[in-house]
Amino acid sequence: MKFMGSAIAILRKDILLELRGKESLSLMLFLSLLLLVIFNFALDTGKENVSSLASGILWVVFTFSGILGMGRTSMAERDEDAYLSIVFSPASAESFYIGKVLSNLLFLVIMEIFTLLFFAVLYDFEKIISMLPQLLPGLLLGTLGFSLVGTLFSFLTTASRYGEVLLPFLYLPVVVPIILGGVSSMDIILNAKAGGAGKWIQIMAVFDILYFAVSLLLFRYIIEE
Amino acid sequence: MKTNRTISILFFLLLVMMPLDFYLIFKVAPTERIMGDVQRIFYLHVSLASGAFLAFTCTFVSSILFLWKKNLIWDSAASASAETGLLFATLVLITGSLWARPIWNVWWTWDPRLLTVLILWFIYVGYFLLRGGIADRFKKAQYSAVIGIIGYIDIPVIRYATKWWKSIHPLLTREGGGLNPVMKNVMFFSLTTFLVLTVFLFLFRFRLARIEERLQKLKKLTED
Repeated sequence: MKFMGSAIAILRKDILLELRGKESLSLMLFLSLLLLVIFNFALDTGKENVSSLASGILWVVFTFSGILGMGRTSMAERDEDAYLSIVFSPASAESFYIGKVLSNLLFLVIMEIFTLLFFAVLYDFEKIISMLPQLLPGLLLGTLGFSLVGTLFSFLTTASRYGEVLLPFLYLPVVVPIILGGVSSMDIILNAKAGGAGKWIQIMAVFDILYFAVSLLLFRYIIEE
Repeated sequence: MKTNRTISILFFLLLVMMPLDFYLIFKVAPTERIMGDVQRIFYLHVSLASGAFLAFTCTFVSSILFLWKKNLIWDSAASASAETGLLFATLVLITGSLWARPIWNVWWTWDPRLLTVLILWFIYVGYFLLRGGIADRFKKAQYSAVIGIIGYIDIPVIRYATKWWKSIHPLLTREGGGLNPVMKNVMFFSLTTFLVLTVFLFLFRFRLARIEERLQKLKKLTED
């Protein structure tokens, strides 16, 4: 109970920071919006194409806005070694990790909700909102995977002199299974394709469990001095 | 030093094995019926892939040992083997591409195996980017060990995820079963040669890393 208590405390701290500083989430939302506009120039997003392009566009936006946001929240911890006060507190490294995963997950989910709304409006594709209940398992499992890996890796990369710039280089190759699963399952559901979204959901679930276990074991080596 | 002697022995061994391997591949192995001479690249491709796999496994094990024992010698082993693995993985991609052009009629295709090797390649490039960005010796070791472990366990997941796309890669079991005895022996010899080369390169870089380490220590001593 104490374990989850410290994790929740860290989550609360991050929400409070975000409410006061508005540093990560606002940047993520702006990037999402901007990317959606850019995609409109890059691809032929006419009425007949948008359904087949939706899953690809959305997951690319989720991925890059996510990288930006998770890099920011880790950078905030590294600033003036703020995270050390958590390391020296009685809270365990594992609860620190879970707290950060939860706060990143929360910010990612908020960003995704807004991205879906932006998408529905800008691309005139309300179907994405009405089909949300079916899309939810894939979205949540994928976002959890992003957060599990992103929390660990953003802490790694912000310690280097390149800072958060290095994050995509390490993060993107590792989350390939999540991106594949997310794009494919969403595409299958949106376009009523054969192939079964269930298999992709399974892969993402396996990924999440695996990375939850491994990251939990490894996180202490990243924050211990 | 024991490592020095092993390196010398392996060097002379390779001096004999390497030319012999190429002689066997180009002169002794029969020309494949359908693919022709291009098939000879297989002997290198498969051997390089095995070498890369051996090296990355070594990185994985050394990374775990480093986090456990906190001895920098394991970090030197991890980085030396990751370097060897990255070199071999690069060559695997190049030789594969050269083979694919005449046989599949494309330089590259999004086949699960190709994709897995490519993503693996990206992960280990990231491994060295991270190492280059951290000055503190111990932190560098600790952080790259985390990548060494995470990157390795990602392989089966990537493999599984990409498998849903239809694979057009030749199946090794079928290939092995249909291989004529001379081809099989050449393949076996080539594999052995490249595994010796893997160990040689690994030891060579490992020794260099150790020497660098000692040099840094001496520099610090003279500074103080």
